[in-house]
Amino acid sequence: MAVSVSNDAPVRTPRILAIDAGGTMTDTIIIDRNGDFVIGKAQTTPDDESIAIANSAEDAFDYWNLSLQKGMKSLVAGVYSGTAMLNRLLERRGQKVGVIVTRGMEDYFRLERGVQTHLGLSYADRLHVVTHRHNVPLVPRERIHGVGGRVDMFGTECIPLYEDDARRAVEALLDEGVDAICVNFIFSYRNPGHERAVKRIADEVMAARGHQVPVLLSVDICPTRLDFPRLNTVVIEAYAAEPSRRQLYRVREKFHSLGASFEPRIMAGHGGTISMEAGQLSKTLVSGPIGGVVGAKYLANRIGIDNVVCSDIGGTSFDLALITGGEYSLKGDPSIDHFKLNLSLLEIDSVGAGTGSFVRVNPLSRRIEIGPDSAGSRIGVCYPDNGTETVSITDCNIVLGTLNPDYFLGGELKIERALAVDAVRTQVAEPLGLSVEKAASGVIELFEESLRQAVLTKVLGRGFEPVNYSLFSYGGGGPVHVGGYTSGLSFRDVMVPAWAAGFSAFGCACADYEYRFERQMDLGIPPESSPTEREVLGRSINEAWDRLRSEVFGEFAKNGIAETDVRIKPYVRLQYMGQLNDIEVLSPVARIGSAGDFDRIIDAFEETYDRVYARSARSPELGYFVTRVVMTGSVDCEKPALPNHDLEGATPAASAEKGTRPVYWRDRWIEARIYQMEELRSGNVVEGLAVIESPATTFVVPPRRAARLDEYRIFHLSASGSAKA
Amino acid sequence: MNYTPTAHRTTSGPRGWDGKSLREMLLDAERLVKETGHCFGLERIAMKEEEPIRFEKIFSRLRGSLVNARETALNISASPIVKELGELCFALYGPEGDSITLSTGILVHVHTMSEAIKHMIRTNYEENPGINDGDIFINNDPHIGNVHTADVQTFVPIFWEGELIGWAGCVTHVMDIGSSTPGSNAVGPTTRYEDGLTLPCVKCGADDRLFRDHVYRCERAVRTPMYWSLDEKTRLAGCHMIRESVRSLIREEGIGTYKQFIRDVLEDSRRSFIERLRQLLIPGVYEAPAFMDSQFAAETRLPDESRKDTMMHAPMRLTIDPKGRLGVDFEGAGKWGLHSFNCTPSAMAGALWVLLTQTVMPNDKVNDGAHYATDIHCPRGSWVNPDVSTTAHGNAWYYLVPSFGGVIRSLSRAFYARGYVEEVLSGYGHDGNILQGGGIDHHGNESAVSNFEMSCVGGGAGIVKDGLDHAAVVWNPEGDMGDIEAWEMVEPLLYIGRGVKMDSGGVGRRRGGAGYECMRMLWNTETYELQFVGDGAVFSQPGIFGGYPPGSGYRLAVKNNDLLDVFEQRKPYPTGDKYSDGKGVTDLVKGNVILDKRAVDLPQSYREHDLYLSVMRGGPGLGDPLRRTVDSIETDLLSGVMSPAIAERAYGVVFATAQDKQEIDREKTEARRREMREARAAKAVPARAWVAKERESRVVPKRFAEPVTDMYRSSMTVSPQWARHFRTFWKLDDSFHF
Repeated sequence: MAVSVSNDAPVRTPRILAIDAGGTMTDTIIIDRNGDFVIGKAQTTPDDESIAIANSAEDAFDYWNLSLQKGMKSLVAGVYSGTAMLNRLLERRGQKVGVIVTRGMEDYFRLERGVQTHLGLSYADRLHVVTHRHNVPLVPRERIHGVGGRVDMFGTECIPLYEDDARRAVEALLDEGVDAICVNFIFSYRNPGHERAVKRIADEVMAARGHQVPVLLSVDICPTRLDFPRLNTVVIEAYAAEPSRRQLYRVREKFHSLGASFEPRIMAGHGGTISMEAGQLSKTLVSGPIGGVVGAKYLANRIGIDNVVCSDIGGTSFDLALITGGEYSLKGDPSIDHFKLNLSLLEIDSVGAGTGSFVRVNPLSRRIEIGPDSAGSRIGVCYPDNGTETVSITDCNIVLGTLNPDYFLGGELKIERALAVDAVRTQVAEPLGLSVEKAASGVIELFEESLRQAVLTKVLGRGFEPVNYSLFSYGGGGPVHVGGYTSGLSFRDVMVPAWAAGFSAFGCACADYEYRFERQMDLGIPPESSPTEREVLGRSINEAWDRLRSEVFGEFAKNGIAETDVRIKPYVRLQYMGQLNDIEVLSPVARIGSAGDFDRIIDAFEETYDRVYARSARSPELGYFVTRVVMTGSVDCEKPALPNHDLEGATPAASAEKGTRPVYWRDRWIEARIYQMEELRSGNVVEGLAVIESPATTFVVPPRRAARLDEYRIFHLSASGSAKA
Repeated sequence: MNYTPTAHRTTSGPRGWDGKSLREMLLDAERLVKETGHCFGLERIAMKEEEPIRFEKIFSRLRGSLVNARETALNISASPIVKELGELCFALYGPEGDSITLSTGILVHVHTMSEAIKHMIRTNYEENPGINDGDIFINNDPHIGNVHTADVQTFVPIFWEGELIGWAGCVTHVMDIGSSTPGSNAVGPTTRYEDGLTLPCVKCGADDRLFRDHVYRCERAVRTPMYWSLDEKTRLAGCHMIRESVRSLIREEGIGTYKQFIRDVLEDSRRSFIERLRQLLIPGVYEAPAFMDSQFAAETRLPDESRKDTMMHAPMRLTIDPKGRLGVDFEGAGKWGLHSFNCTPSAMAGALWVLLTQTVMPNDKVNDGAHYATDIHCPRGSWVNPDVSTTAHGNAWYYLVPSFGGVIRSLSRAFYARGYVEEVLSGYGHDGNILQGGGIDHHGNESAVSNFEMSCVGGGAGIVKDGLDHAAVVWNPEGDMGDIEAWEMVEPLLYIGRGVKMDSGGVGRRRGGAGYECMRMLWNTETYELQFVGDGAVFSQPGIFGGYPPGSGYRLAVKNNDLLDVFEQRKPYPTGDKYSDGKGVTDLVKGNVILDKRAVDLPQSYREHDLYLSVMRGGPGLGDPLRRTVDSIETDLLSGVMSPAIAERAYGVVFATAQDKQEIDREKTEARRREMREARAAKAVPARAWVAKERESRVVPKRFAEPVTDMYRSSMTVSPQWARHFRTFWKLDDSFHF
């Protein structure tokens, strides 16, 4: 499917390739010098991903009449994102890993944390204990060995390391034929001595046996607090990430054999891209939903806005993230699927409501329930022979006329409106005693209300009001509902990029080449600390920053990048003394030279804390606690250009008009004007009620609102009359 | 949160709607439900019928704001109990104190908070101390509305144009409440004067700020002031978030709509609950008692009258009438006692609520409407409803949790009869052990600890699957045990083992969920007081349909031991007590061993390097163990959930070789099971004959252990009705008494 931002046809010079390798399909997006792009598709080839990626790229280049070789030679950058690593984990197809833990903790994966039995369940199922289940262990009990020894929370050795245990464990795991050995001891981030000693012993044993396997220490992979999420993270690195690294090498070889000269980078969970050589590849475990947020940040930066709500509607979920002061926030202890992890992941809230969400009327209470399950790629009842009989959100949109049954995915899919009408009538309208249109419209109102609530909650939760933010809407379903879920919220601006459907892939191409390293500190600052005490503390932080900086430089050095080319940003994570939840602040100073410098960091923390938790929760009387220090380093890399078109008049050209069709809006049928998105010109204003169609998405402009297309081909949705060209 | 003071700031006077007092509103509401059977006398739910979409929109919006308040505010707390294990809950109430919607969390308190609000209304707080916009109230009194003093509630009234239109409430389980013994589940208090800080619906702030004298009083009264302070801020910040959400909703929807909505939604939930019961359960009368031990005869530090071994008796009769009304009757519960395990009707009603939300109504549309569709009877003078206000309730949970075991077994029978086999549970695990105590910790501070790993005990077995292993507890289905590195930040004890507890789940065709055990070593403290809290001599969950109870608990500690030498010489040290006989520990470490079934005791001093074993209990089993598949048994043996000895004794397993008990001989097992069945048949007598025999050999000659005699005596004294029931069943004459 060729998706082009506009129908202008300049000479094509492909610059950037972004890959979204899904479980079924591999998409590639190729962006040219002007910011135009095409999307290529191919069936995923799990045994060797490079085949599907090459096929998909070839498909894309084909739309621009370029050969694969010619196109590849022209590219200067490529970014990979995909689900292969996550799928390997979820389907338990990882490497054979052996694990060494503190003695007595060999049941880690059987016990898990109780929370892993109900993570991600719906509200109702979280209450309903018979639905809770344990995960299948990543590593069976017999390949987990305990080694005597203990270190306490201060780093003091309380039980000496039982070196003979360690030797026996390594021997036994090698006898089992493991591919890798992971080591995770309690409080190793405070004192790595025991883990390092085990590594030394393992090296000796392996040298004697003449057989080497990688030994991964938790202190090297994620030196941060909480032993079980840390163990998950280290084991996932060996179990799922290392096999992915081998796959990625093949992708790189393939590209180079086709004449490409760039080094492909991988999208990581913290929002930057990293090299295939990175020490910790599990940072790239989740990359899919990250792209849109990174793209939004890039766009916001280019057009000069600081605060953005990113909203993305797909078939199964509504994903939300905030960019505040030009930065998105990261979560240090995210949950992915049913795993608690210790790695930094861009903070995205996912609401289980998408365009495929099922709609039911509870037969007992006669109240409407939306989701949590979804028709997903099966769309809904309106798509015949897809195996679902339950009404979905898309069915309701088809009934209302907001979606065009003859132009679904540009007409590639045959949709039957009559099926949707029948299903809505029998399943929703009749039980509620409403007309079909009224019922479908009610469901959409309810759906959009829940999204609106999620958006509002997210903004208020950061201590802001909608008026402080602009909202971006993208994903296939975003522009259909954006009018509804922003209704009555006074956002500064509501924006829909014309390439909303490909926005996530576009976003991956916008990511910085960036590493992020963290270290647990656990430094207390008593309420009445002296300037000297704060200076001493500052020195510890400086030292940690220095160490992290050399780790960042070390990663870039693997790809031959000089230290002078790396931009460095220091962060501190703080909380009030005793608390268990910290807040990350960008340090206003590069080094802490005085107590005053330290106070500036505290001020930044207090300011954020007030906003998030209300002033009454401020507790400076307890003192402060530095949990972690963080360092990021980034280097310049090729980014997509933004299209920049001359502004034309407010009235769309005749070629953009596709006539009218009746659309049911809240309580009546209205004859809505229909437009072809690609034919609209920068400067055009579309008054609601109107439907702007493109092959991959539909943008609904509600009554009394208008959408103006700007020079970057971004729509701005505002109150009718205010949208001046 | 943006707070705009309203003009309405007088100190006292009616706060209700249309010039009424709240008290008048509450009495009206109670009269209407009594007269009509409908909440507020609503024959029809007009808003839902006329505007179903708008009704739903408002509901989802309010619920969203509560869930969000909880998720945001818990980050303020310092306590792993609140932050890591989620021991908090928010609810929004109508002006009369009925819950409208709630967050997730410890749902037991949605109803106890309702009782506290109603107490303030009934006792005319409008007049004195006054209820004004910006006020803050705090409560933890079990006699008003609570389970025990460690569950602390904060309330903020919500006003609109001078009328009180609702209340935001939050509860957190605090780490210490200043009882006579440290920790949040105080075992030791014998009267309420030892239960610690009691705050009986106290006005503790105005203008959205806490009174300074209140802050000082609380900080001086508890052992963990920092945790107290942050927990209080957590509750208050969340209540303010809820208040703001309600105000913003009213700004959009109008006050008239809001008022109608909170009425309609209550009646709607009442009806849905009844419909659901009618659909899921077979009507009838179900009886299932529960018991629990407390052994204090040897406890010299208690007053004379408390120093005895006793049994808790919770006879339980569940009635589901054909119209779908549910009743729970504890008639026959024994007398209240001079111990900290007494409960109030508020606690009992809260517990019923939490059980129902996990079984018959696990959905997002629950509120106090369900309360109006249930009846609970707590006989006055019994331990479930003391007739004096001086009783101690420090660890009411210790009796409360087991007493509802019969409810879940009865519901399971009713589910089973209807064919909802997936819903059947044989019961739940008892929530112990609680490692609890206090002293100077590893940071050099005065401290108290209440380890909440008992949020993850074994679950009851189902018809279609085994019980959930070590992942939930009846009062919090979202169970979690937290990380070792989190607990060691607050407790001066190292974990030197944390593993699945063998044979802890009840035997059965489907086995009960396994518990787990933690071996702890005191570290970095000179001396620290610790106690054990859990079942010991008896089990409270007997299993169902032929399944067996889970293993009951015990206590194991090794004081003044030689661990330092063990470490020095790199000898193996104990990480658990594999076979629950102490041998795995005492073979490796020498010292003063405490090993017995007195699994609930008073705090005693421990020193650095002393060992303390904390065992989290398993769940009860379901069905005949001889019908458990050999494949399942093999898996259990391999994973360490089951010992070969139990496989042989309870499941009839025959191993291929006697020495290496790993491989099961399937043929010989089948033969052995046949023999066991035949032996059972040979021993079996008709139930009537067994009852007759027991009557002659045990009941008539009153041949019971002393605590059991004492238990029956107490039940018969408190309840002549239950005494008749007992005499009728055993065919005894009217003069029979213990």
